[in-house]
Amino acid sequence: MATTTASLSLVSSDLFDDSLSISTSNQLNKAGTVTGLDQTTGLNKIYLTATTNVDIITVPGATMDGKKSHVYISNESTDETEYIVVSIGDKVIGRLYAGDFLWMPWNQQAQHLSDIEIAPSVATGIFVEYMIIHDGIVLTSSADS
Amino acid sequence: MATTTATITLESADLLTDVLSLSTTATLTKAGTSTGLTVTSGLGRKKTGGTSQYILFDGDAYANGAHKVYLKNTSTTSAQYFTIEINSEQMGKLYAGDWCLFPWEANADTNDIKIQPSAADMVLEYMLFIDE
Repeated sequence: MATTTASLSLVSSDLFDDSLSISTSNQLNKAGTVTGLDQTTGLNKIYLTATTNVDIITVPGATMDGKKSHVYISNESTDETEYIVVSIGDKVIGRLYAGDFLWMPWNQQAQHLSDIEIAPSVATGIFVEYMIIHDGIVLTSSADS
Repeated sequence: MATTTATITLESADLLTDVLSLSTTATLTKAGTSTGLTVTSGLGRKKTGGTSQYILFDGDAYANGAHKVYLKNTSTTSAQYFTIEINSEQMGKLYAGDWCLFPWEANADTNDIKIQPSAADMVLEYMLFIDE
């Protein structure tokens, strides 16, 4: 097993009259256990030059339903108007604008309905970083023709 | 305008042969601008009485925008989780101690964020940063 921690700090001195200072940290474990997740896609960096909706990870079947995964996605653009639309299957979660990131749990519940998809707002090129730390994913079978 | 920052740090010495040490900071801004978000639900806690599914945030109650959602399962029992659903699609399960931060478009009344606890009397901590 591996020990991986995910920490978050949410800070503001002027959102409220009171200051905001949330700090939380947790160890990434397999579902319902204290055994650490031991698999990852690694940190991917891609450059998207079309506004097409693309899968960053596909769920070819429901055999991993119930396995725990965490997803990190970051829009590396520096143009504040540029965003990527993040969806699970055909259901939009939201837009990640330049510099924004997300961290969310993910369940490979259903074939393709659980695919994680992103669509850039521009075709001029956006760098996106993403990483999935998981307890198993199904790789697509080879096809040579 | 307000300046609110979110910093994520992912660390592991043994997940890979190489050390994982990723840290990213984002300033929470309104859609397509560098203007900081100024409205929030505040940091709240919800104790769920049963194991029914609840609407945490109603998609119809907010305009379409670059909202941000923070959730944390405060349970210390490793088997306890909240199932998170958005727009009627399951996102995933937030187990004891887990947290998440994600954008939310809220572009229709179907875009509710719903939670369903795996056990009675679990406590979810939550905060919505609202783009309006």
